[in-house]
Amino acid sequence: MIIARPHGLLGFVGALLLAGCASNGLEIRSLPPATPAADNAAAAANAEALAAAMADETTNAAAKATATDAGNAPADRPPLFTPADAPSMRTYDPFERLNRFTYRFNARFDDAIFLPLANGYRRLPLSVQTATHNFFTNLDEVKSVINYVLQFRLRYAVRTLGRFVVNSTIGIGGLIDVAKDIKMPRAQTGFSDTLATYGVHPGPYLVIPLLGPSTLRDGIGFAGDYGINWAVNVGDLYRGSYWKAAAIDIPWAVDARANVDFRYYATGSPFEYQQIRFLYVRKRLIEDAGLRRYSRPTPPPAGAEAGQ
Amino acid sequence: MCLHRTFVLLAVLLLARMAAADAQPQGEHSAMMPAVAGPATGLADSAGLRATVFGTPPQQMAPLPDRVPLSEIDIKLPWANPVPDVFWFNKKLRVWFSAQDKPAPLAIVIAGTGGDGNTSKNATLRGVLYGAGYHVLTMPSPTFPGFIVAASSTGVAGDLQQDSHDLYAAMQAIVARLPRRVKITEIDVLGYSLGGANAAVVKAIDAKEQKLHIHRAVMINPPVSLFTSITRLDRLFAISIGTSNEDIDRLYRQLYAELANLYRASDKVEIDEEFLLGAAAVVLKTDAEFSAAIALTFRLDLVNMFFAGDLYARTGVVVDPNHPPKVGDPLEQTELRLRQMPFSAYFSRVFAPYYLQRRPNSTSASLIADNRLDIIADALRTDGDYYAQTNSDDLILDKAELLWLEKTLGSRIVVYDHGGHLGNLGDRTQIADMLEMLAGRWSGPRS
Repeated sequence: MIIARPHGLLGFVGALLLAGCASNGLEIRSLPPATPAADNAAAAANAEALAAAMADETTNAAAKATATDAGNAPADRPPLFTPADAPSMRTYDPFERLNRFTYRFNARFDDAIFLPLANGYRRLPLSVQTATHNFFTNLDEVKSVINYVLQFRLRYAVRTLGRFVVNSTIGIGGLIDVAKDIKMPRAQTGFSDTLATYGVHPGPYLVIPLLGPSTLRDGIGFAGDYGINWAVNVGDLYRGSYWKAAAIDIPWAVDARANVDFRYYATGSPFEYQQIRFLYVRKRLIEDAGLRRYSRPTPPPAGAEAGQ
Repeated sequence: MCLHRTFVLLAVLLLARMAAADAQPQGEHSAMMPAVAGPATGLADSAGLRATVFGTPPQQMAPLPDRVPLSEIDIKLPWANPVPDVFWFNKKLRVWFSAQDKPAPLAIVIAGTGGDGNTSKNATLRGVLYGAGYHVLTMPSPTFPGFIVAASSTGVAGDLQQDSHDLYAAMQAIVARLPRRVKITEIDVLGYSLGGANAAVVKAIDAKEQKLHIHRAVMINPPVSLFTSITRLDRLFAISIGTSNEDIDRLYRQLYAELANLYRASDKVEIDEEFLLGAAAVVLKTDAEFSAAIALTFRLDLVNMFFAGDLYARTGVVVDPNHPPKVGDPLEQTELRLRQMPFSAYFSRVFAPYYLQRRPNSTSASLIADNRLDIIADALRTDGDYYAQTNSDDLILDKAELLWLEKTLGSRIVVYDHGGHLGNLGDRTQIADMLEMLAGRWSGPRS
């Protein structure tokens, strides 16, 4: 989850680990400057968009309610979840002990290597960051297109393919997200979603080294997506020497990390591991329910843990 | 995508909604509100509860600077207790510092209950203070587990004097080791919620010890009696959620179903911040739902504080003092048990046993009395450098406490009509007044 492709990163990590990190009584780390004015302006814009959407929703809801009253409820409404359909608050985690150690490893790795790199990256001019981010996001569309096809969601497949074509050409190899401006917003998917469409459950919770919180299905999905990228091999970027892989994968990983506002143990809490686990699996299960929008929810079997 | 905030939102949504059926008429909810709700209690005031949950709308924020330099300081403090395995990540106290490049006053900001040094409220205060020309040091609450482990001399958080002593010592250690280029002309302290009370007590300690020469202190929405405030929060939890894990489970199921339905009705392909913000606005609507969200937020902070206190005090409520948990150990059962424990259980089973043993001649009643702002009443009354800001509908104060604050501070307190608990922190008026207070230009509330 934290990064998309660890491939090629390992040697680099070793070198940095050997370089060591000083740790006496005091450590001062300079961070990229905070930008409160811009953050608040963004929040204000969000709030306005949300208010507009809510107003819309209210109008629509009123229209729908009238339709229902008249006895002709819209047929496209997904069947409703009830509290009995919710998964248990407990999460299926048979590898908990191992996972907890991996979580600690990831936290240390993040603190010592990943985050400093991401913070360095965030000091680059914004235009460079945006272009880099767009470039990698654009490459990511390839696996989304193929997975949408596998999921028979052709409308999304066409839109995503359209985005890829537009951004790769007019957007100069993906550096500029032109498609967003012509009302083709990004919608990504992956092989894990494809598996979910075919009814595969998330399975055991898994903390993957360097990648972070995941499930068995998401882990397989990740490998599947990597396989798709390898097979398609856009621009011959996905095959070749380790150096070439590192030259692509390290900036990719750093960009991905810089765009995730998460800090290990910012909660200071010994319960962070299980709280993240709880949220991650619930988030995925609700997303799965969205993939099977029109199927009737079934209550989980008695005693089953979430994800099982 | 902003993952952390997405998770926080998801957490609030999945855990913090009234279990009652959706569309109950407003009147029934009000009937469920505590009988103590009076004009100054805020518990029955929708606007106050809503403000407490959603905070200051971005459009009403005070002007913020474009860029604020920021560094993170991790410091090891010699008086801290040995770090238990399960807290391996809290070895050093982490604070955040923003330096002006010319000589300037230093404002030290203390977070509220359970907050780290970089809460969004601390970040807001950092922005406005830096914009007003201060160096800014933002610190966690002494009830934040990172502080309890790395900076508390007892490990049992929640004692106003002990916590403030530890805070004061930590401030000295940090200020002494700031880079040499940072020139400090004077030091002021401020804090919100419990951090406000801590700030005032820190200033009172400094008046005796004279180590930092703290000039002014501003309390934003402070409690008066910690015990009264926590009792009110316990009651809020019991009324809006219940008392057992079954109640929490019911709340969770209800909310899960609601989120799943909202998600399936949307055209989203993943749960992102935008979806959750929209969902929050749809799902959190009634007083009971706001109350549940507030009560649960405090409860999740208490869970951490309780765990740490029980571990350090060796009181054995949920942690076996002879076999404390290790890194790989499952803690789900421990958290489940702690989630049912109110503040009053922390007081009677961890806090009181610990402090009664260490303070000869103390009683439960004296511990409660010692955790009131009264302990610095003389200073608050006579020293013109203490200030406060609060709201008439702040749910952590009762009417008598609000009156006490007004009587004690006189013209050095401003009481806004609305805002609930911290729901107006950052708005133009609150910030303008706060900056006048900090600079000594305050001439009393405008009538």
